[in-house]
Amino acid sequence: MSFTYRTPQLLQEDHQTTLDVIERLDALLAKARRSPPDVNDATVRGTLKKAAEAIGAEVEFHFKFEEDELFPRLEEAGDVGIGMHLREEHAALLPLGLAIAKSAGEAIDSGFTQADWDDFRDKAGELIERMLAHIQKEEMALLPMLDELLDDESDMELSVQHGNAH
Amino acid sequence: MMPGGFMGGAKDRLLPVSVPFRFFGAAAFFHVLAWLTLLWGADDLPRFIGGPGPVLAALHLMTLGVLAMAAIGASYQLLPVATRQPLARVWMARLSFWLFAPGLLILALGMSGEADSALWPGAILACAGLLLFALLTGDNLRRAGSLPIVAAHGGAALVALLGTIAAGLLLIGDFSHGYLADHASVAVLHMGVAAFGFMGLLVFGYSLILVPMYLLSRSVPTRPGWLQLGLGVAAILLFAAGRLMALPLLDVFALLIGLAAAATYLVLMRAAWKSAMRRRQGLSFVLLRAGWAGMVLGLLAGLVLAAGIDIPNGPALFGWIVLVGWLLTFVTGILQRIMPFLASMHATGRGGKPVRVSDLTAELPLRIHAVGHGLAFVLVALGIVLDLNVLVQLGAVAGLAGALAFAAFAGVVIVQVYRLGPPS
Repeated sequence: MSFTYRTPQLLQEDHQTTLDVIERLDALLAKARRSPPDVNDATVRGTLKKAAEAIGAEVEFHFKFEEDELFPRLEEAGDVGIGMHLREEHAALLPLGLAIAKSAGEAIDSGFTQADWDDFRDKAGELIERMLAHIQKEEMALLPMLDELLDDESDMELSVQHGNAH
Repeated sequence: MMPGGFMGGAKDRLLPVSVPFRFFGAAAFFHVLAWLTLLWGADDLPRFIGGPGPVLAALHLMTLGVLAMAAIGASYQLLPVATRQPLARVWMARLSFWLFAPGLLILALGMSGEADSALWPGAILACAGLLLFALLTGDNLRRAGSLPIVAAHGGAALVALLGTIAAGLLLIGDFSHGYLADHASVAVLHMGVAAFGFMGLLVFGYSLILVPMYLLSRSVPTRPGWLQLGLGVAAILLFAAGRLMALPLLDVFALLIGLAAAATYLVLMRAAWKSAMRRRQGLSFVLLRAGWAGMVLGLLAGLVLAAGIDIPNGPALFGWIVLVGWLLTFVTGILQRIMPFLASMHATGRGGKPVRVSDLTAELPLRIHAVGHGLAFVLVALGIVLDLNVLVQLGAVAGLAGALAFAAFAGVVIVQVYRLGPPS
């Protein structure tokens, strides 16, 4: 989808950043399967570093921006359901994202034990699946609705807020 | 989260779960019935060129029972979401099902040659259901200001549906009264407008929403979208004119333009793929790609036949490639993505946590379906060309196994959505 206003474009760029990490995590899980990967391998290390640095902060910021700035505007315009649904998904995704970021950071320093890896694999698998469905819904429903709702002035205000907070 | 709440509030656009899922469940049921009927009429398939019997019944169970049924369910749910316009009357959508599904069963019984008296009652009921669908969907598309290109594809598909219905009723009347000078030509018109006009244009239009959504594509260019529609409509009009004016040469031009439309469509799908944020798509996209190959192969086979080059049992082979190789492959690929995704919007997990799509699907039956479907397509195609009934029978058995597996998948999704989300 392509959008007229800057704010949905910025949110789409956030999605792209998150998906980049998600794709890398997905590839890591597919390659390593049940055995803990070697954290000294450059690709594995790069993926874990990206997950540790980007995913927690990115998700936390993105969700907060949507919940504080966008959903109230949609609710004012009469679309209550989408904010409710996406907030519930945020509530499920945020702890997963933060847990993955923490585990990835720890693994860079001390590697994965089998138990650590099993836990990481379960959580990352769930994060990947939930995040993909969530982004699909936002791309299909939230961003087009936002693009319809905004005008030049509100778009400028929101895109500056998004830029400042990043 | 209440069912129906997603994108809800003042503009509630998610239908009660029972509305789309009754169509999807029925599509899975008719899928099994179609293969079973084809197995029964396997001996007649290679030389089939029309006329009552099990093959005609199987053909309509597949086209109306699976393809149209799935398209109606998807249209009722996806169009209001995509166009951001609610469906005018939900009870009319329910009524259309209760006219269409039993009507189709009765019609298929009449077409099988076992009960001629069932033809008209079945046709009237099924057509009434289809007309109600056309009315509801036409109204939704008319209000779809934000998606003119999808609305235009949908509108053209609905016009083709009306043409298909008219030709179908003429053919049924001709079985008993024999007023048509060239029954076979009208039958080809009916099949061509149904497959390429109604289903083909819906596939072209809905792909512009669904494929980029699944791939998380950044953008699909608009201009080629209008070009694919223009070419598609021109091809169908030319084909219809050729049939009505008894000018079969026009078929060649229609198929060439149809190939150009297909090429434009594939360029659009490639653009979606190139700008995809997610490329790991799994089995459903294998089926979509196979369906696209079937579309091109079908058009090429039609072109060879229209050019007067002989292919053994060519008409049956052409129909087989278009209906099973292209449309059935594509539709089952799309259904296996739509059903769990929609179900996840309705279902509520333990403690209010949203349900995962993987909790609502079943991978093994889908793998069995893909293998059975692929095997069935190849075996039956070979059976048609080589005029070997045993290959058609084996293919029908493989198709039936695949359809049963697909029905098991659909059953899992439906049971899970009702278990995890209150039915409505």
